[in-house]
Amino acid sequence: MSGETASRTAAPGIDTFDRVALGIVGTAIVTFLLGWTTLFDRTSPDTAVAGLSLFALFGAAFLLAGAGLIAAGIASNVGLFETTADQYTGLGTGVAFGVVGFATGGLVTTILFGVGATGSVLVGLVVALIATLGVAVLPEDIGTTLPVGLLALTWGVLLVAGFVDVGWVWDPPSIKATFHAPIVVPLVTIALSLLVAWSGAIVAEEFGSQGRQNGAYLMIGLNAFGMIAVLLLLILFVVRKGLPKLLEGAQFGPGLNISVPFLTKGVVLGQQYNGIFPAIVGTVWLVIGAVVLAIPMGIGAAVFLTEYAEQGRFTAVIETATNALWSTPSIVYGLFGYAFLVPRFGNRNSLLAGMMVLGFMLLPLVVITSREAIKSVPDEYRDASAALGVNQWQTIRSVVLPAAMPGVVTGVILGVGRIAGETAPILLVTSGQPFPARAPSILGSFRFTAAPPFVQNEALLQASSALPYQLYAVITAGVGQEEAFGWGTALVLLMVVLGFYAIGITSRIYFRKKLNQ
Amino acid sequence: MSDQTVTRTNEEQQSNSLTEQQSNSLTVDAETDERLVDSWTNYEFEGEAAITVEDLDVYYGDDHAIDSISMEIPEQSVTALIGPSGCGKSTYLRCLNRMNDRIDSARVDGTVEIDGENIYEGDTDLVELRKKVGMVFQSPNPFPKSIRQNVSYGPRKHGDVNVGLLGKLLGGDDSEAELQIVERSLKQAALWDEVSDRLEDNALGLSGGQQQRLCIARCLAVDPDVILMDEPASALDPVATAKIEDLIEQLAEEYTVVVVTHNMQQAARISDQTAVFLTGGQLVEYDDTNKIFENPESDRVEDYVTGKFG
Repeated sequence: MSGETASRTAAPGIDTFDRVALGIVGTAIVTFLLGWTTLFDRTSPDTAVAGLSLFALFGAAFLLAGAGLIAAGIASNVGLFETTADQYTGLGTGVAFGVVGFATGGLVTTILFGVGATGSVLVGLVVALIATLGVAVLPEDIGTTLPVGLLALTWGVLLVAGFVDVGWVWDPPSIKATFHAPIVVPLVTIALSLLVAWSGAIVAEEFGSQGRQNGAYLMIGLNAFGMIAVLLLLILFVVRKGLPKLLEGAQFGPGLNISVPFLTKGVVLGQQYNGIFPAIVGTVWLVIGAVVLAIPMGIGAAVFLTEYAEQGRFTAVIETATNALWSTPSIVYGLFGYAFLVPRFGNRNSLLAGMMVLGFMLLPLVVITSREAIKSVPDEYRDASAALGVNQWQTIRSVVLPAAMPGVVTGVILGVGRIAGETAPILLVTSGQPFPARAPSILGSFRFTAAPPFVQNEALLQASSALPYQLYAVITAGVGQEEAFGWGTALVLLMVVLGFYAIGITSRIYFRKKLNQ
Repeated sequence: MSDQTVTRTNEEQQSNSLTEQQSNSLTVDAETDERLVDSWTNYEFEGEAAITVEDLDVYYGDDHAIDSISMEIPEQSVTALIGPSGCGKSTYLRCLNRMNDRIDSARVDGTVEIDGENIYEGDTDLVELRKKVGMVFQSPNPFPKSIRQNVSYGPRKHGDVNVGLLGKLLGGDDSEAELQIVERSLKQAALWDEVSDRLEDNALGLSGGQQQRLCIARCLAVDPDVILMDEPASALDPVATAKIEDLIEQLAEEYTVVVVTHNMQQAARISDQTAVFLTGGQLVEYDDTNKIFENPESDRVEDYVTGKFG
């Protein structure tokens, strides 16, 4: 390792340089993570380590990192260490720092000196101009370290000296909003950590194209990590809030004697543990009904548009219309169902109306994704089949559709995620009693008659509850409804959607395996 | 499909510029090459003609891709179609089983008689035609199915073998017959020894050369009379190419094979007679392969086969 390094740069003491860079990046990552946990109340701002509050620790970290960055930049610039820095930082980085400079300059003048909007914007613009031009023409090793280092030092001083502490509040007179330190400090810390990490990563690879690559990689990586962290946090939060209600009165064992009343009971007056079973059944039926309605129609339309219809204005119009339908707000679908379907189904809300409205909502997505999947099936397959004298429909059925199936299923998975959580249409066309005692019994309600329509199903034509609707009912019920009931419902809704995803992903794997086992 | 047309047009332009270059050099060489001589394309052979083409013209939109070609193709032999890119030889090949119908802008005039019937007459059954005239494409294109399903695809879809649930229910389960067709076709395509123990594996797991032989087997499974091959070995390595070439020569004992190729050595090795397409869509010379390669009538053909242009 050391031999390699020596031969690569031939400069003594390069290890110090590397160590400083790694220290900076490491510090930045730690503050980045702590920033997120603080923002979401996982770490309290009052935590004290070695007599320093958390915010003061942030400050100290930024002081160290900022000093390190500036030292590394200057050391490289004066030739203390041999690096591959470019002559200029470049306008791209300059403009980026200009934006940062505008925000910083403007905010600092407003907060510290109470200057009004016009004044602070002017100051911000001046700072931005200086930052842009200055950074752009500076040598790369200075331009990428010095501004970040100065920002980090400033923030560090503010925190360590206690100018900004837990009780700090910024209350701008011009807008009706108050900014409290427990929100502001983590946010600034996260943003600044990203900058410091970026700069540190560039230093670690000794500037130049290798350095820029490293900086971009680290910044994008941290960003992606942040996204996933937010998602996980959201799920964990719902689980933590909902789990106690879900397990209320639950018994496991002995043996197979498992009972979870929240999942298996309805809401009955005087019952010890009420549950959401009717709503679960309602949601499952709604999704099944919508999928059964949308898949044959959607795939059929996609096959016609891609394989049979002549590509031209007609297909272009259909394509645009389909895309527009997919982005139509769900309340519009709901209104359509309310005005058109409900009067035709006995003038009352019903499961069937809900299934149809949700099916219409799912339809455009099935068409769009199926079209893409069918288009991506290679023409060679079609040629080969045609050359064997097989007609077009048989070719579509036995070659094109099987090859397109994984893509189609992906589309359906995405769509199911959306419709399972849809509230507005259900509110309009399906909802009845929000907390029913009994679940709709679809399978048990089929009646066969000798005269048309031959099949009747009373349960399909009755109102039903559904998980998102129930959640909505809990939230709007106001006083008297227990909040935990809502959290439990939310958790179950999450689980139901994830369950549908699992089914979808399994079938996608199955279809893919069939293609290339 | 429109993409295909566009590519073709580009090739056409390419070939036009080629033609210009070449006619410049030919004014010095020979005056006779300025026009075509009918007798050069009058190929006399013994035996029956499997395919008789008369005055065939093909247009892609305004683009004249095939210019009044007439030729007879003898049965149970290998006929090679050679010529530079964009000269129309693939288009010509695709006329023989009406694959050009799949290109919207293509228009075909003239007659192509197979078994004494003009395939461009109104009531031609495309299914029957393509069962009789099979085709193998430039790049191997097996379906993403098992090897067995690939080979039996044609017979299944034509209802010749009846397998699966319905077959079992109706008592006419043809699984045995299906396996026989698969085995016969794979043996004919010289692939049986390599895949007999893994018929249920996915065809996409085979090597390129094996995939191409599988495509030939798939085409043989519907029991055609004529096999059209559009540069069947151009995407393959030399070893796989050699296997395909051997296979073509074997197939000619039973089938009429028409091969389009860029590779003149390949044409010389495997074919009995060779047709040379030079200027945009014109057949210049058609004769015994030996004659074409050793002593062609046309000077342009001589230049082409000796590698002076193209």
